[in-house]
Amino acid sequence: MAPNTESHGQQPGNMSFETLKSNIQHTTTARLGKLGISGRKDIETPNFFSIGSRGVVPHLTPDVISAHAQFSGIHMALEDFIERATTGTPPVMNVPGDSPLHTFTALPSHFTTLLAPRRTPAVSAPTGNSNTAISIFTSTGFQVLPNKAYTTYITKLSPDLAVGLADVPYGTVPGTKRIAKMGDRTETWLTELLAAKPERTAIFAPILPIDSNAQSEYLNHLDDIADRIHGLAFYDPNTLPDIPATTALTRLPRLSLSEPRSPSQILRQIALGMDIFTIPFINSATDAGIALDFSFPSPKTKSESTAPLPLGTDMWAATHSTSLLPLSESCTCYACTAHHRAYIQHLLSAKEMLGWALLQIHNHAMLSAFFSAIRTSIAAGTFEEDSDVFARVWESEMPEKTGQGPRVRGYHYKSEGPGEGKKNKAAWGNLGVGVDGGEKDADGKVLEGGLVPTEGRGSWRGRGLRRRLRVYREMHSRTSF
Amino acid sequence: MASESFTPVSMPSALRFDLLARCSTTKARAANLTLPHGPVQLPLFMPVATQASLKGLTPEQLEATGCRLCLNNTYHLGLKPGQEVLDKIGGAHKLQGWKHNILTDSGGFQMVSLLKLAQITEQGVRFLSPHDGTPMLLTPEHSINLQNTIGSDIIMQLDDVLVTTSPDHARMREAMLRSVRWLDRCIAAHANPTTQNLFCIIQGGLDLEMRAECCREMVARDTPGIAIGGLSGGEAKADYCRVVNTCTSLLPEMKPRYVMGIGYPEDLVVSVALGADMFDCVWPTRTARFGNAITKYGMLNMRHAKYASDFGPVEEGCGCVCCRKGEGGLNVTRAFVHHLAAKETVGAHLLTMHNVWYQLELMRNVRKAILEDRYPEFLKQFFKDLHAGDKSMYPDWAVEALKTVGVDLME
Ligand SMILES: [Zn+2]
Ligand SMILES: [Zn+2]
Repeated sequence: MAPNTESHGQQPGNMSFETLKSNIQHTTTARLGKLGISGRKDIETPNFFSIGSRGVVPHLTPDVISAHAQFSGIHMALEDFIERATTGTPPVMNVPGDSPLHTFTALPSHFTTLLAPRRTPAVSAPTGNSNTAISIFTSTGFQVLPNKAYTTYITKLSPDLAVGLADVPYGTVPGTKRIAKMGDRTETWLTELLAAKPERTAIFAPILPIDSNAQSEYLNHLDDIADRIHGLAFYDPNTLPDIPATTALTRLPRLSLSEPRSPSQILRQIALGMDIFTIPFINSATDAGIALDFSFPSPKTKSESTAPLPLGTDMWAATHSTSLLPLSESCTCYACTAHHRAYIQHLLSAKEMLGWALLQIHNHAMLSAFFSAIRTSIAAGTFEEDSDVFARVWESEMPEKTGQGPRVRGYHYKSEGPGEGKKNKAAWGNLGVGVDGGEKDADGKVLEGGLVPTEGRGSWRGRGLRRRLRVYREMHSRTSF
Repeated sequence: MASESFTPVSMPSALRFDLLARCSTTKARAANLTLPHGPVQLPLFMPVATQASLKGLTPEQLEATGCRLCLNNTYHLGLKPGQEVLDKIGGAHKLQGWKHNILTDSGGFQMVSLLKLAQITEQGVRFLSPHDGTPMLLTPEHSINLQNTIGSDIIMQLDDVLVTTSPDHARMREAMLRSVRWLDRCIAAHANPTTQNLFCIIQGGLDLEMRAECCREMVARDTPGIAIGGLSGGEAKADYCRVVNTCTSLLPEMKPRYVMGIGYPEDLVVSVALGADMFDCVWPTRTARFGNAITKYGMLNMRHAKYASDFGPVEEGCGCVCCRKGEGGLNVTRAFVHHLAAKETVGAHLLTMHNVWYQLELMRNVRKAILEDRYPEFLKQFFKDLHAGDKSMYPDWAVEALKTVGVDLME
């Protein structure tokens, strides 16, 4: 395919990565690659992994993923699986077979699993990390995750890829003393993990979201052991240019665990040489009822507009109620070929869960197409110009959300506090149902609560611990499904 | 048994009913019903996609359960997306991308049960708009007109529904007679009799005389299919069975018989034995949202802690996409559903897939047993499984009802 394909051959474990093309022989530049994991479909890079929640892509059952998803892997957070660790062995640890995580989550076999200790985005913990453990947030509250335990989980669960434990302080700005410890702890933890020699898992070493000088010892150490790790996981893409430009480190695939807010931020990271992404804005656009609608570098159909184009369409808008158009003219996803805007607008407006499922299918398809076009552009050697075009043609930020999100419940969502009012209004306002607080079953018995809660969804960041604790206690004191 | 077929002549019809077999003991029948959007096999359970969507499943996933006829609710579609939008889009099939059949109710029942302020007059159902509180009126003509716009394959007459347990005999009789008069107005208003099938709805509460009178009146109107309405409203199961049994004996053999609002597995198998063909109920999909899996051994609540480490399928041997192993199956475990329950909607979607499959598969097996003339044995096995062989647990109403059609579960 590319003229200057450079294969680095098989790396330890069952993962291989070859850089197919870099525009110039320089460490930080957009590059093409191929990630091969035995038993899974090869992943052409740059590419992205979907962000899972409790092992599933929100709204999508695994059969739908199998039939309609073009993405190659799912990011799973260990903290979503081990709430029972405080009282015994988490069930996932007893799943029989070679790939317990895959088996447990019923993930079709060709998809890749990426295990990280924490969700993306993660909820900040009330207590800091220690020399041997980090703080995590499970469905039953905060827990301590020792590196030793994390190592055992990885060894047993056999995810295809796993990110080593990193001493990342969520929600607080670390002081100088703390920063000094971060590299040391992370290095120790990585050493312990590698010593356990997880057989079926490729280990990505975390790169800390701090200045490269502050973690220079750790980075040099990574260079020394580069043949024993399988990739680098960046919490902050800005550290990428400061990675030692050695052959050993350059040949490793790079995973971004940062939270790009828009496609242009993804492009920027690709220009730095990032290979694989996790992209929270896909799920958040879906929940907001926004159908992403952008292509790289410019729209497939000529646009008259000279003003920057929006990156998505708010599907709550009543203007779509009779539109038989697809969500995006150029999209060939299931939602766009089998359905139309009118249906999705109806489903959102009627609070039917299928609305979010269809948007989720589409939004993932949009990103798959985006990355595919990026790879074509890099192969053609036009990535830089194309990125400039993209920046001119499209708006730089996601459209504002106007509609309500899906009726959600969950420990990772917060309440806005008592003043906000009820966010999940009943779809049928002043009808009798639900007024007395519950739906009735076929016998007319009132069922307690619904599947879906009345809490709003949002970010936990920057919220007081007290409130967080109260909210998750509220959420978990409920017995409803 | 020889296949017989019958196409009603006096009123145009858009269906064909082929009776394939009658059980030699009970009143159960197996038939093929050919509707505008393809054939369906009776007896049949119809899942309810109230607002043109079935609880998070894609039409493709619903199709994978074997469903070829589902319900939409006229009242809900009338509000959202509304008749104007439905008209512009070209009906409910086009709205939801569903290639198969749709049945809609009249909207009247939903209105009476959902709206506290609904009032019934000879003109129709008076209610306050849920949008802005303005007084509105749903007449038989409006209901049919709306269902014509929806374009459903089976449409239902507007009827005057009272709870069967109402003690007011005079009001019950008024409702029954009014339902007959409204049927005439529905027939007159029906614009698409050659593409949509209007079903009448037998009323009359628990009074068998009144039910019989209603059957005579409505059968004379010769609609393509016949529903038995006003049940599943909290009446005793024994009373329910008497009504169904009485009505099916008075209904023409060559028309489909639909008992509205019925969905518990034991209700289905008994009702089939009493001669009914079609059923619908929100229960299988609604209960999935509360973590309940329907199995032949009864209902299991996946939220229970005992399933946290249960790596068996939701139901052993189940052929649904969720439970099935191998090609096209997900091999989802109870532990995984437990892990998702109440935290990710995917957990509910998985159980919805399973429950809908369970109901449809139950009816496929019922049909097979009727075709092979072993329905009595099927019934015995069904109750044995459901109650772990403990006959003292068998519900009296089912035992009694089945006795009336020649099956003794206790023998
Ligand atoms: Zn699409
Ligand atoms: Zn199943």
